[in-house]
Amino acid sequence: MFSTVNKPAERVDAYEKVTGRAKYGADLQFAGMLYGKVLRAKHPSARIKSINVEKARAIPGVWAVMTAQDVFCNEIGVIIQDQQVLAKERIYYIGDGVAMVAAESLEIAAKALEAIEVEYEEIEGIFDPIVSKESDPIHPERASNEVVHHKLRKGNVDEGFAGSDVIIEREYETQFVEHSYIEPEAVVAVPHENGSLVTIYGSVQNVFATRDAVARCLKADLSKVRVVQNHIGGSFGGKDEVVSAMACRAALLALKTDRPVKMVNTREESILESYKRHPYKMKYKVGATKDGKLMAMEIEAIADGGAYACQTPFVTWRSVVQATGPYEVPNVKTDTYGYYTNNVYTGAMRGYGSPQVIFANESLMDEMAQELGITPLEIRLKNILKNGSMTASGQKLDRHEVSLAEVMKKAAEAIGYEEKYREYSKPQRGDKRRGIGMAISFRGCSLGAEAVDGAGTVLSIQKDGSVYLYSGLAENGQGLKTAFCQIAAEELGIEMKHITFLEANTLISPDSGSTVASRSTLVGGNSVMRAAENAKRALSRFLAEEFGLPSSDLVFKENWIYTPDGKKLISFAEAANKAFWAGVQLSHVGWYVAPSIHWDEEEGRGNPYFTYVYGCQIAEVEVDMGTGEVTVLNMAAAHDVGRAINPEMLKGQIYGGVMMGLGYGIMEEVETDEGYIANTNFDEYIIPTSKDMPNIIPIIVENPDPDGPFGAKSIGEPTLELGAAAIANAIAQATGRRIRSLPLNLERVLLGHPLRKGRGKK
Amino acid sequence: MSNIEVTITVNGTKHRLMVGPKERLLDTLRERLHLTGTKEGCGVGECGACTVILDGEAVHSCLILTAQADGSEVITVEGLEKEGQLHPLQEAFIKHHAVQCGFCTPGMLMSAKALIDKNPNPTREEIKTAIEGNLCRCTGYEQIIEAIESATRALESR
Amino acid sequence: MIDYEFFKAPSLKEALEFLGSHEGVKAIAGGTDLLVDIRKENARAKGFKYLLDISGLKELKFIEERNDCVAIGALSTHTMLVESPVINKHFPLLASAAKTIGSTQIRNRGTVGGNINNASPAADLLPPLIALKAHVKLRTLNGERKLPLDEFLAGPYRTNRQSDEIMTEVCVPLLGEGYFTNFQKIGRRKAMNIARLNLAVVLGIKDDTVFDPRIVPGAATAYPIRFGKTEEAISGKRIGDIDPAEIGERASEEMISATGVRWSTPYKRIALASLVKRALETIFREAKANE
Repeated sequence: MFSTVNKPAERVDAYEKVTGRAKYGADLQFAGMLYGKVLRAKHPSARIKSINVEKARAIPGVWAVMTAQDVFCNEIGVIIQDQQVLAKERIYYIGDGVAMVAAESLEIAAKALEAIEVEYEEIEGIFDPIVSKESDPIHPERASNEVVHHKLRKGNVDEGFAGSDVIIEREYETQFVEHSYIEPEAVVAVPHENGSLVTIYGSVQNVFATRDAVARCLKADLSKVRVVQNHIGGSFGGKDEVVSAMACRAALLALKTDRPVKMVNTREESILESYKRHPYKMKYKVGATKDGKLMAMEIEAIADGGAYACQTPFVTWRSVVQATGPYEVPNVKTDTYGYYTNNVYTGAMRGYGSPQVIFANESLMDEMAQELGITPLEIRLKNILKNGSMTASGQKLDRHEVSLAEVMKKAAEAIGYEEKYREYSKPQRGDKRRGIGMAISFRGCSLGAEAVDGAGTVLSIQKDGSVYLYSGLAENGQGLKTAFCQIAAEELGIEMKHITFLEANTLISPDSGSTVASRSTLVGGNSVMRAAENAKRALSRFLAEEFGLPSSDLVFKENWIYTPDGKKLISFAEAANKAFWAGVQLSHVGWYVAPSIHWDEEEGRGNPYFTYVYGCQIAEVEVDMGTGEVTVLNMAAAHDVGRAINPEMLKGQIYGGVMMGLGYGIMEEVETDEGYIANTNFDEYIIPTSKDMPNIIPIIVENPDPDGPFGAKSIGEPTLELGAAAIANAIAQATGRRIRSLPLNLERVLLGHPLRKGRGKK
Repeated sequence: MSNIEVTITVNGTKHRLMVGPKERLLDTLRERLHLTGTKEGCGVGECGACTVILDGEAVHSCLILTAQADGSEVITVEGLEKEGQLHPLQEAFIKHHAVQCGFCTPGMLMSAKALIDKNPNPTREEIKTAIEGNLCRCTGYEQIIEAIESATRALESR
Repeated sequence: MIDYEFFKAPSLKEALEFLGSHEGVKAIAGGTDLLVDIRKENARAKGFKYLLDISGLKELKFIEERNDCVAIGALSTHTMLVESPVINKHFPLLASAAKTIGSTQIRNRGTVGGNINNASPAADLLPPLIALKAHVKLRTLNGERKLPLDEFLAGPYRTNRQSDEIMTEVCVPLLGEGYFTNFQKIGRRKAMNIARLNLAVVLGIKDDTVFDPRIVPGAATAYPIRFGKTEEAISGKRIGDIDPAEIGERASEEMISATGVRWSTPYKRIALASLVKRALETIFREAKANE
């Protein structure tokens, strides 16, 4: 059926990466390059009384020392511009930059930082969003500490609860989590290169967002700032605002010194400064009939936004849409809030407001099943969304296959769920006890009603038939380049080896928004198809005329072009050559904008996403009742992706997402104490190793979506959002004890509650 | 602080260098010899991105002072490919999609090479142990392990 | 910023000469702890002027069986312990403990002497070596002294090593007939763990009766020590009369009496009891199987 897509094509960037040739931000060198370093705050909440940089300036080899007063525009942000490039008067969190230097070596830069004298006056900080709600505003220009409040309303929850036989209320809590991309943030700013005011190279997740921030900071036209992405060592949502801030600083230093400036964070700097996944405090109330039909849900979720708004407004919006989980609930009242605190700020991380509410709603389903005396599978099957169902926000699901029952069935069969569930429900003896737990989700694809959802790709056929393409979306390691090349190759009917994907570059690529929300294959992939269709159309018209064909409806396959009745006409390369010399346009833009959707923020309802994906993960665990150690033995992960553009890359997303979910579930937590961060490197912030891997069973389910390229939808985030919830349910079965806060580490599993060290001040 | 003269052989080439007392092998490789394939992810021996083979054993180049490595032989990721021919591990990493962002890949390859140089037929568990100190946040390790298993088979059939 | 001069010792003699003639010398072997401390500007790594590199001293890199002991050169790596047939034959708990240290890269580089001299409360080799009644040899230009490991340790991250001394070897006396050993460790993940708790148990069983028990938990007290009261509770007892769970509780009590109640005590109280119980059960099972 396909020649290139739906096949495990080799990654187009793999050769460079396995030979060490791939250049990442920190690997770049430019003539005359200086090294930039940032002096960070000493306290999470303070007023800067004075900064004296004279001694630092006097050190030989120091080319610039800058503070907030040297910044043209000091406030940046994608949604709300409240993030300081350098702290001006006020320290809002422990990662704030206070001053920065550019010097001839890292060592001189470090000495210069030591020579900067800062006098602080500590201000009592706010470190709990619930306290923040009642407190005076942290940011003086705002009326309150509320970053955002979203609501969702359906039916009448009072009536729903009145009609319920069983009502339970539970509270759940999640933690700060670090993205833990293995490459710390790195950029190089080069001044006055090829007509640009400044060019930023480096590990940038979203070239346009970073470009916008730098241009704003420099008060320059967008067209004067070029951001070029390099190979990027992982991002997971994490190299957006924090890298934008770094790019602004490097750009300021570069323009001040008129020399290229490289900035690379150490791991400690990275963990101190970079935004985290939001901790949530959630209250769930759910009512059901005796026979297990959900009648009403009332939900309140409070997110700790930390010092800056960052992505909190949109993260909490996804939460409000998805907080009930993938269930038909006739009466729903959901409120999500984000509050400022003096903690490290929080933003986008793989999942984007879903892992938190899924942990809650999927724990809740198991708890409700237990109350009702039915199995976790039964309660879900009774209530899941199906074709034609109405979601909590009032959207009718009738444009794509609602495949929850299918993903559940496939995951359950692959891991032997029902048998194991029965087995582990019997009383267990001894120290090692087992449990099996499931979690399911629906996830809106792409940005939804957050923002305009368009993407563009330029596809240019060369006169030898080779092709290059560049897109406004960017490789983050997930395989976007390869997927886009596959889509282009399929559509043009040529081999992938003839296609080159160029790095994202804001001065040539069409502004396509951000590479986020698992939208690239879906939205960006469609733009690649359109570009290829446009190119084919132009070539076909030319060839029809050239060969005097009655129809220009030509067929492109296997490097050849055929007439509609299957006659071999001309090779693709030859056609390209002829077309070029005949003056035919061979460079084409493909633009795709997602189908229209709407959201009524006042009423709290609408059609927030144009399509959804469905997933089910089931975890089998063994718990050591004497030590609290958890071993995840097996994980089945079934995901409906619409169509797998590259099944092997897709499995890679599943394996990686499952492991990240495992880390979230049982070991990861950024430990904060009054705004200080205790674990700032990988010796103390631990993530899963190869030894922590369960046996992972990836299951790809394909129900092509009418709006996806070749039917493809999303995979990046769905794989991550379920693991913690599934593992928590499995642990609850094994131990007979429900733990409602993450992570399920040694102490929580053994004692049922966390232990706090009370450390971190340095 | 006085500098120290060292001789190290990197990927078969001998280098005589004057190094500072604080210079790490990682810095020497990246900054002086421009072998930027070796990466820095944590600086404290926890992520494994800086793994190189020193006198036959996988080590963290961030936890070795170059001055300590005087007289040693070092292999980095750049030393795997021989005369345009990829090492079977590199081929297997490509074929098995063991690479995503690629930042852990060089260290992962060096740990894998050190393993199969010593133990040409490792079990899956031995492979996991060999790479337990190489953190990967993208792949979940599965395809990396598959790639190493397949490379050992390829080497065996040679 | 920590600055220092670097000196690479070509031989033990020259290393000792350097130590004898300079003030403020810090020795570096594998560097897996020290270089991290220097990077973090940890107080432990401050206040030295010279870094003396002893990592090249091949003469301190050996594991050999002698008449009454196994001698482990101070610069033997953890990997050497894991792979050594001598260690695996006589002291399997030492190989088990070494396997859990760091990662392959750390084990290839980190040394036995380094693990001992760093004297971390959570060091994985200390409990088994103390339980095995290991001695350490310390050399100066003028001579050598030998002292029991538990006397060498002086506190968390503190030892009784004199500034002119280098640890040359660790001597582990061979266990006689009837001894059993066990090592346990709890970490927060399955590899690259700093011990949340660890435990070494060495004891003899003759005629179903326990003799010479040695119980040494790690990361439980300020630095690893033998739990004498717990040992007493099983010494001379028939294994059928010993309730491992109760001995576990006793070990936890002994821990709390040494440390007081700390933030981690609610966890460690239960977990240490589990480890002790498990180690004893395992040993008793092995003893039964050996009959």
